[in-house]
Amino acid sequence: MERRLQQLFFALSLLALALILAAGWQANTPSWKNYQRSFLQLEAQEEPNAITKAAVLATPPEIHQVLLPGLQRVDRCTTCHLGVEDPTMKSAPEPFRYHANLGPHVSAKFGCTICHGGQGLATDKESAHGKVAFWPNPLLSTDYIRASCGRCHKEGEVPGVPELTEGRHLFETQGCRGCHKLNGVGGSIGPDLTGEGANRRAPEWLERHFLAPNAVSAGSAMPNFHFTKEQARDLTYYMLSLTNEEMGSYFSSLRLIPSPEYGRQLFVEKNCISCHAIGGVGANTAPDLLGVTKRHSIEWLDEQLVNPELVYPGSAMPEYDLETNARKALVAYLASATAEDAQLILSKKARAMTPEDIAIEAGKQNFSRFGCVGCHGTELQGGVANPNAQGGEVPSLLHVSDDYTKDEVIAIIRNGRVPPLDNAAGPTPPLYMPSWKKVLSDEDINRIADYLWSKRQKAKDAW
Amino acid sequence: MNLIREIWQSIVRRDPLSTDKGKSELVFLNVWLHIHPAKVKKENMKFRHTFYLGFITFFLFLILLTTGIALMVYYRPYPAQAYQDMKDLQFAVFMGTFLRNMHRWAAHGMVVCVLLHMCRVFYTGSYKKPRQFNWVIGVLLLLVTLSLSFTGYLLPWDQLAYWAITVGTNIGSYAPLIGGQLRELLLGGHSVGEGALIRFYVLHVAVLPAAMILLTIVHFWRVRKDGGLSRPVWKLKGKQEGLVTIGAPTQAAALQATAASKDKTYGLMEVVTGKPIFETVTLEEEEDTVFSYPYAFVREAVALMATVTTIMTMSLFLNAPLEELANPAKTPNPAKAPWYFLGLQELVSHSAFLGGVVAPALMVLMLLAIPYLDRNPSRRPGDRKLILWLFTIFVAANLVLIVIGTFFRGPGWALVPPWVHVAAGAE
Repeated sequence: MERRLQQLFFALSLLALALILAAGWQANTPSWKNYQRSFLQLEAQEEPNAITKAAVLATPPEIHQVLLPGLQRVDRCTTCHLGVEDPTMKSAPEPFRYHANLGPHVSAKFGCTICHGGQGLATDKESAHGKVAFWPNPLLSTDYIRASCGRCHKEGEVPGVPELTEGRHLFETQGCRGCHKLNGVGGSIGPDLTGEGANRRAPEWLERHFLAPNAVSAGSAMPNFHFTKEQARDLTYYMLSLTNEEMGSYFSSLRLIPSPEYGRQLFVEKNCISCHAIGGVGANTAPDLLGVTKRHSIEWLDEQLVNPELVYPGSAMPEYDLETNARKALVAYLASATAEDAQLILSKKARAMTPEDIAIEAGKQNFSRFGCVGCHGTELQGGVANPNAQGGEVPSLLHVSDDYTKDEVIAIIRNGRVPPLDNAAGPTPPLYMPSWKKVLSDEDINRIADYLWSKRQKAKDAW
Repeated sequence: MNLIREIWQSIVRRDPLSTDKGKSELVFLNVWLHIHPAKVKKENMKFRHTFYLGFITFFLFLILLTTGIALMVYYRPYPAQAYQDMKDLQFAVFMGTFLRNMHRWAAHGMVVCVLLHMCRVFYTGSYKKPRQFNWVIGVLLLLVTLSLSFTGYLLPWDQLAYWAITVGTNIGSYAPLIGGQLRELLLGGHSVGEGALIRFYVLHVAVLPAAMILLTIVHFWRVRKDGGLSRPVWKLKGKQEGLVTIGAPTQAAALQATAASKDKTYGLMEVVTGKPIFETVTLEEEEDTVFSYPYAFVREAVALMATVTTIMTMSLFLNAPLEELANPAKTPNPAKAPWYFLGLQELVSHSAFLGGVVAPALMVLMLLAIPYLDRNPSRRPGDRKLILWLFTIFVAANLVLIVIGTFFRGPGWALVPPWVHVAAGAE
């Protein structure tokens, strides 16, 4: 018995040793080391003499990582993707191939996962590509990867990604905010979309959802907007870009790309042409801007836009509250602005608006911006299906002034309303009028009512 | 050569192990080993008397201490960093996964072994005189073990950790008057956050291990003073009368004087009046004893290695879970407490007051009071039928509730058998 026990102890000790060695062996042979060996062999092939060849092959294996505190991530992708920044690896097999067309987005500064998705901290293929349980952000397929541009470039045009601008435009004009919150503004009938891009939804799912909401989430209250395939893709891009990440100051400064196109847009919006001229076209109360970037330095122009009084005491130019990249965009536009373009801008200038027009226009903007159009339609036509509500659909607002006083309508917007039922015993209709008093000011609501009443006038004229 | 021998002898200072004196000196000249007696009763060493559950629990604690200290080197108790450190252990630290696995499985193993140990002590009636208070210390050790496991549960800062602790602390907050404040004191806020993480960390790596070590010392010391490991005394034929436990008034038999043996030496610490409180040994019993070296030590060593290899094997093949980064805005459905609290959560789902207050309070109080409520002096199972049945029902009820909570509860805490797959709601 005693001898047996001693033998057992000895055997178990050996087993423990073997287990430790096994664990050590397991830890010492990760797959990334194989990739690094293959890469070194690939590199060594190119070396002409034996000594450098041996030196290349003798490079010790190590984990490569890019620390990106500004993007709150650590990317170890380059541990295996070793040729990403090496142009001689243009035709190397994956995972060693050179990443062409990076432009300013070098991996040393941006890492990989901010665009590609995946799990930057991981060092084995499955986990790194994020196609594992409990990682919400798997690798994006090439069809959707450009959506990631919108994670940093949240405003303005992104060159090469019209889908993002278009998707954002659709979101703001089709009334999505009527049901969905985004960054704190919007209704609460549908889910909050503030972090939708971080929700582990497959892009294909989103796209199908936009084409036919009920096909992918049964019983969804979301109406079918009959989007085209392109529109569904645009919206999918926009959704994927909504990751709501905290970013360092450098990355958040890039929310807007200072492109000349955006500068032109600002030039029109801020009505610069009403004081300035370009090449003699425009007003002459302020200096002509043709060739202004040759006469002054970029810094001088920037300062002029921030604080005109400082540069020219007594300057009549107002202080426009423009962010850094907006100012850069304006200057970029001015560098290329021509008299012909100024002519074009002048020709499209709208007629002067009366204060009344402005109030109604503001009401229309609100009606669209806060998502009323989502259910009531861009032309107030209504008609979105709402089973078991009276009439079975969301009411048209074209004739609202016939049935209600203005005060009653204002009260309904302020307090919300559950639609009257078709069949009292039936189910609650999925859509209802939310209360807007916490989101909209009284003034905003009055303007929406003004807008609705302005439509009545037109409708009556039509009769 | 002489110098080497001199150095060696200055370290061990005992006779060779081939002699009886050397064997006893190995034990009582060594501060670590002298918690053992120099000689142990053969009966005490039988595996089937105790299943060595106390030893195994202690060895698991040693594994937890060593792996825990190694893990501390890689861990920063701040929300974002904590989760990243888990990922680093998994992907960048040499043998990091193995280390974390060992800590995780040893922790679950320790909870299981403490509970099994408690059952064994109950079924053998080993909490009876003179060991009543040691049972109380054992119950305290159980509570410290559960607290250690619970505080450690939060540290990875993933969804599993975050919501298990949220649910677990919510159960506690049902206590009347002080429940809410207690929860706030523990969490350092109204909900699980940065404050909770640092508090749980301090409890996990400093306060609770210290409590565990101090209580363990007392627990072992008392086992030693009360005559060593438990054994089925009711089976020892005709020897019971010879067993005298002094200090137990009901068994106040006279001390049996035995003639001093010429082969033995006695150390006399102090001459005092009154009776010693520890168990004395009769001559017949003396014949049934063997030296701790090697008989007891080899058994303990085998138990240690068996424990270590089991945990290592598990750690090689089973990975500790790590879910997504904790997200207070995204509640998993269902959110479950750690498994050992799922019985309580199950009760809470029927009645918050019952599961959150009455049941846990009653359980702890009852466990603490058992040795004082059970007035039956006999340890023979045949004499304790009623109480054994009651305890078995108590254990079985707990087990059933935990199994239901673990395997049979789906989204919305609805009853869903484990073989039915419920797709996580997409919308």
